[in-house]
Amino acid sequence: MKKIPVILDGDPGHDDAIAWVLAKGSQKMDILGVTSVCGNQTIEKTTYNARRICTLIGLDAPMAMGRLRPLISEPIIAPTVHGESGLDGPALPEPAYPLLEMDAVTLMAKLLEESQEPVTLIPTGPLTNVAALLLAYPELKSKIARISLMGGGVQYGNWTPAAEFNILVDPEAADVVFSSGIPIIMAGLDVTEKAMIFPEDFERIRALGNPVAVIVAEWLEFFYQFHRSLGYEGAPVHDAVAVAALLKPEIMESQDLYVQVETAGDFCKGATVADFNGVLGKAPNAKVLMGIDRQAFVDLLVEAIGTYGEGKA
Amino acid sequence: MKRIPVIIDCDPGVDDTAALLLAYQMPELDIRAVTTVAGNVGVDKTTNNAKKVRKIMGADFPIYRGADKPMFRPLVTAAEFHGADGFGGVEMPVPDDVIPEEKAWDAIYRIAKECEGELVLIAVGPMTNVGIALAKYKELPKLLKKIVIMGGAAIGGNVTPAAEFNIYVDPEAADMMFCCGVPVHMCGLDVTLQAYATKEELEQIAALGTPQAKLFCDVLQNGLKKYLSWGKKGVALHDPAAVLYTAYPELFTAEEAGVRVETKGPLTLGKTVTDLYSDKQFDDHNAFVVTGVDREKFLQKVYDLMEKYAKAE
Repeated sequence: MKKIPVILDGDPGHDDAIAWVLAKGSQKMDILGVTSVCGNQTIEKTTYNARRICTLIGLDAPMAMGRLRPLISEPIIAPTVHGESGLDGPALPEPAYPLLEMDAVTLMAKLLEESQEPVTLIPTGPLTNVAALLLAYPELKSKIARISLMGGGVQYGNWTPAAEFNILVDPEAADVVFSSGIPIIMAGLDVTEKAMIFPEDFERIRALGNPVAVIVAEWLEFFYQFHRSLGYEGAPVHDAVAVAALLKPEIMESQDLYVQVETAGDFCKGATVADFNGVLGKAPNAKVLMGIDRQAFVDLLVEAIGTYGEGKA
Repeated sequence: MKRIPVIIDCDPGVDDTAALLLAYQMPELDIRAVTTVAGNVGVDKTTNNAKKVRKIMGADFPIYRGADKPMFRPLVTAAEFHGADGFGGVEMPVPDDVIPEEKAWDAIYRIAKECEGELVLIAVGPMTNVGIALAKYKELPKLLKKIVIMGGAAIGGNVTPAAEFNIYVDPEAADMMFCCGVPVHMCGLDVTLQAYATKEELEQIAALGTPQAKLFCDVLQNGLKKYLSWGKKGVALHDPAAVLYTAYPELFTAEEAGVRVETKGPLTLGKTVTDLYSDKQFDDHNAFVVTGVDREKFLQKVYDLMEKYAKAE
């Protein structure tokens, strides 16, 4: 089966890390490159984390670092969710693969230019790099097959009542992406809070026994601590849904909607505004994921993590 | 039975007309006054329409004229939906009754004082009169038992993708109301779009044969056509939902939540931002968001109330 050519762009982050474990482990994606963005932590930390994750999972793809801050807005980081390192929890291997000198955006453009076929972008952090790419290389839009992103929520937010973290961090960038005309798959809170991994699933993953499985189980443990304090019964692995949506679209429910990003306001900055009632009469610009077969999602993760080797268990 | 003293603040308006027709037959409600405001059409017309409805009902509650424009903005109307005269194209002479000079906000305060903390304010137009009353009378919040509104939406909008008409017209007044300390029960689009009447159900009411039943159905015809053309099953009984909620809350589901109104965002102006589904909560849970209705029972109640006009003859 032909692999899907993708670029992974994220701010790892526990759920970014698990998204990338899934992307590599699925063996159905041709990962052309990896880029880091500031979000869950500073760009230095997310880049270091990205490199350690790639080393852990043997992902030796071209890798470049994103800019220091969002396009216009002030940076926001999320140490309460991901810890001071941005990826607290188990010890990880030190980076074994090089970091390119070029900017993340330059690398993305180079990979798009070199690709024979359109490439799918999978941004799981703020959309800073993707927006900069679209602004700096408008001629490459046709080389982007689609953007499967984790961000937003057409019904509610998490960092504010109206806004989800990734979109709130760089709303102007998100506006560029949603206005781009490129097909968007939106894995927002509407679906990702249903992509819940329960403690019994952690054990199922740990029991796979390989080194990646053990670390993923520990990441989930860490990620769950924060969510449990908010009353969740498991860990919503937000970012992995943006990957799963490409691997197994049949396990998702979705609604095609016209979605815009609010960039200002007292309460709504960073909100993804969907036209549910067709007030504007605009054609949909996003496939908004609204539901997921949770068990199938867990099975997909388990299967992918199993490919990292036979366990001792 | 202990009756609930209410003031109905409205902008008739086709569904306002339906709401008044229903409210007058509810033994649970003691209508102390109807106050009018600019909204669906200008305040001269909404006041005239209130007089027409009062006359056809044979009611004797006082009508007080309110604001002719929002607190800080020019008026936006919805004449394309409610008809140029705001009466759904129904021709009826304006009764020549003279209404008191007292302004709506002064009447609201005076009556609230007379009711010694028992008054329920039902506001089903833009919240301008409420906002002005709060601006003028600092003691007013202590005198109101609760405020029930038709307005807003936790999800979606009808005048923009994010905002419902009544809140959009005067967002500052609406935010003043939500912040005033009186619990606000919000019957927004979340519930009112569920509280629809089909063509057949309206015909059943019309078949009651009274002038009131005829008016009820006639004013809603234009709206019915629009809703059906949008692919909906019937015409939303927005304002009747708020009136019935006041007397029959058991037909509805409501959840306590924090609500604020966006007054600055370019895309989200007039959005009622709730923390109903969000991890991030507002400091204050100032409202109850009505999210559901038992439509069958609701419509039965509407029919039963309209039937009383026939029995009275």
